[in-house]
Amino acid sequence: MIGRITQRAISDSALRGLQASLDRSARLQEQLSSGRRISQPSDDPSGTASAMTFRSQRASAEQHLRNIDGAQGRLNITDAAVGDLSARLAKVRELALASQNGALSTEGRSALGAEVTAIRGNVVDIYNTRYLDRPVFGGTVAGDAAVDGAGAYVGDDAPVVVRISRDATVRVDVRGTDVAADSVPALLDQIAAEVASPGGITNASLDALDAARSTVLNAIGDIGARASRVESAKVQVDSLRLDLQGRISENEDIDLPETIMNLQAQQVAYESALGAAAKILQTSLADFLK
Amino acid sequence: MSGFGTLNTAATGLSAAQRAMDITGQNIVNANTAGYSRQRVLLSSAGPATSATFFSGQQATFGGVGVSDITRIRDSFLEATRAAAGGRQETLTAQASALAGAQQLLAEPGDNGLQRSMDEFFNSWHDVATNISPDNTAPGAVTIENGVKVAGQLHAIAFGLAAQWSVTHDALADTVSQANQAASDLAVLNGKIQEGVVAGRPVNELLDSRDQLVRRLSELVGGVALPAEDGQVQVSVGGVSVVSGTKAQTLTLGGAGDLATATTDPPTLYWGTTPVPVESGRALGQLASLRSDLPTLLAAVDQVAVSLRDAVNAVHATGFTLAGAPGGLFFDGTDALTLSVVPTAAAGLAVASAPGTVDGSVAAAIGDLSDERNASAVLGGPGPSARWRELTTALGVQLKSLETASSVQQSVVRAADDAVEANAGVSLDEEMGNMILFQRSYQASARVITTVDEMLDTLINRTGTVGR
Repeated sequence: MIGRITQRAISDSALRGLQASLDRSARLQEQLSSGRRISQPSDDPSGTASAMTFRSQRASAEQHLRNIDGAQGRLNITDAAVGDLSARLAKVRELALASQNGALSTEGRSALGAEVTAIRGNVVDIYNTRYLDRPVFGGTVAGDAAVDGAGAYVGDDAPVVVRISRDATVRVDVRGTDVAADSVPALLDQIAAEVASPGGITNASLDALDAARSTVLNAIGDIGARASRVESAKVQVDSLRLDLQGRISENEDIDLPETIMNLQAQQVAYESALGAAAKILQTSLADFLK
Repeated sequence: MSGFGTLNTAATGLSAAQRAMDITGQNIVNANTAGYSRQRVLLSSAGPATSATFFSGQQATFGGVGVSDITRIRDSFLEATRAAAGGRQETLTAQASALAGAQQLLAEPGDNGLQRSMDEFFNSWHDVATNISPDNTAPGAVTIENGVKVAGQLHAIAFGLAAQWSVTHDALADTVSQANQAASDLAVLNGKIQEGVVAGRPVNELLDSRDQLVRRLSELVGGVALPAEDGQVQVSVGGVSVVSGTKAQTLTLGGAGDLATATTDPPTLYWGTTPVPVESGRALGQLASLRSDLPTLLAAVDQVAVSLRDAVNAVHATGFTLAGAPGGLFFDGTDALTLSVVPTAAAGLAVASAPGTVDGSVAAAIGDLSDERNASAVLGGPGPSARWRELTTALGVQLKSLETASSVQQSVVRAADDAVEANAGVSLDEEMGNMILFQRSYQASARVITTVDEMLDTLINRTGTVGR
C-alpha cells in the first residue's frame, strides 16, 4: 500500500469504485433486459461458435421437417392411388373370371368388355395421379402424365429423393414399372377384347393380370414401409429440433434468478460504496480547526 | 548581543513564514488541478555573519532563516512509468474500439446475421427440390431472393468494414495532428523553462505543464522523454526525435487512404520521408487496426463470399434448367463487394440432373451444402458457413483478449496514477497542518519583535529611572 494518501486519491478511488460497481450493474441490467447472455461474439467467443452451430442445425432440422411434410403428402397420395389401383385390378379379375362362363350371351360379353374398357380409363387416370402438378408414377418426366392417351408408359423411372434428416434421404416416388404402368393399360385393352369375344379371357392374360396385381401389392407394402420410415424420421428430427432449441436457450439465455440475485447483490454493494464515499469524503481537518 | 540583530533575525522568520504560507496557499488552491505537483519550502538557518558589525561587540549575530529553495515534489521515474502505462492503455483501447465497431457489423449470434441468411438460402433450395414443377415458380423466386439477400448482407459487411477503416484513418490523422500540436507546445515550453532556469526564476508550474505534455505525447504516439540540460526534455518516438530543445518535428501520415489498398500500401507515420516505427500510444492501436485487423477481417469476409460462390456454382454447373439448358453461374463476382446473383427468374435455376426432366436433385444437392461435410467435399476446404463461424469466433476471441488486456492495463495505469498522486498530490490535511505551523511560526517571530521592542523601550525610555 502507498504510504501517503491525499484527499484527491481518496475521491479518485471512491469514484473508480463507484464506476466499476455501476458498470457491473449496467452489464447485468443489459443482460436482464435483453434476456441474453451472449449478445456479441466477444461476450463469449466459444459460446458464439456453439450458438451459430446450434442455430444452423436448428434451421436444417426445420427444413428437414418441411421436407418430411412434403414427402408424407406425396406418399399418402401415392398410397391412396396404389390402393385404388389394386381394387380396380381385382374388379378386372372378377370380370375376367365371369367371362369364362360359357353360358354368357354375346350382349353379356360385350357388357363385360365395356366395363373392362371403362376400368382401363380409370386405371390410366390413377397412373396419372398428381401431387403438386407432378405425376407421382412418372419419375422426373417432363410433362404432367405418366401414361399417355394411347396407354403407353412415358415415365422415366428416375428417382425423386427428399432429404429427411442430416444423414438420411428417402425416395418419395413410385416407379411406374413397379406398379406395372408399362404393361397394365395394354393388358387391359387385350382383356377387354378377350372378354368380349367367345371363350373369354385366355389363361395367359389371366396370368399376366395376376402378375400385375402382385406387383401392385408389393408396391403397397413398399410405400407403407417408406411412410413409416418417414414418420419415425419426423419424430427424431422434431425431438432434435426441440433439443437444439433447449441448447440454444441454455447457451445464449441468462439464468434469470441468478442474474436477478447478482443485480440485487450489486445494488447493495453500490449503495454501501456510496455511503462509505459520502462519509469519508466529507471529513476534513478544517472541521476540527478553530 | 545587539537588539538590532535580533530584530533582523525575527524579520527573516516573518518573511520565511509568509513565503511558506504563500506556498501552502498555492498548494491548497491547486489541490484539484490536474498535473499539479505539490511544492515545499526548503528553509535553512543562516549562520553568524562572517564579519562582526560595528555594534556587535565580540558576539556574532545570527542570520535568521532563509528560503533556500522551493522544490517541486515529483518523482520522474514514477512519472515516466505512468506515461508509458498510459501509452500502452491507449494502444489497447484504440485497437479494441475499431474491432468493436467491426463486430457490430456481424450481427452474430442471432437471427439477423449472415449465418441465418445462408441457412435460409440453402434451405430454400430444398423447397425448390420438394416442390419441383415447371409451373410452380414461387420456391425458385424465393431462392433467388434469398441469394440476393446473402449477397446484399456480404456487401453491407464489406462496406461497413471500409467505413470503419476510414473512420479509424481519420482518427489516426487527428491523433497525429494532436501529437504535432503537443510537440510544438512542448518545444515552446522547453524554451521558457530554459530561460527561467538561466534567470533563476521559479519554473515549477512550467515543469508541471511540461510533464502533462510529455504524458500526452506518450498517450498519442508513444513518445519517450529523456531529460536534457536546463530542465528541458527531449522526446523521441520509436527512436526518432520529435522534440529536441526548442525544435519540434512534424509527423505526417502517409500510405493508403482506403481499405482496398491498405495491404499493398499500409498507412505509416513519417518524419519527412523517414518512416517512424511507432511503439506505443493511440497511434499504434489505430495503425494495427488499419494495417492488419481490418484488412484481415475483410479478406476473411471475401473468403466467405468466394467459398459460397464456388460451392454453389460447382453444384449448379452440374445441373440443367427445367427447359434443358445447362446450368451456368449462380453467383458471380470476385469478392464480398461484387458478389451478385446471376439468374433473375426461377426458370434460370439449374435444378435437374439431366436435361428434359423435371428433377430437383441438383437443387437438393445445393441445399445439402448447408451441411459442412458436403460443402467441404465440393470445395476441398472449409465451406462458407464454417469460414463465417471461424471469422466470427476469431474476431470475438481477439476482441475479448484486447478487452481483458485493456482492463488489466487500466489497473496498471491506476496503480501508476496512485503512485504519482501519493508522491506529488496535495494532501489538504498536511497543508492545513503546515498552515497552523507557519501561522504559529509567524506569530512567534512577531512576538520576538515585540519583545525586542519592549526591551528597546526599556532601554530608551527607562534608562536612568531604575528604582524610581
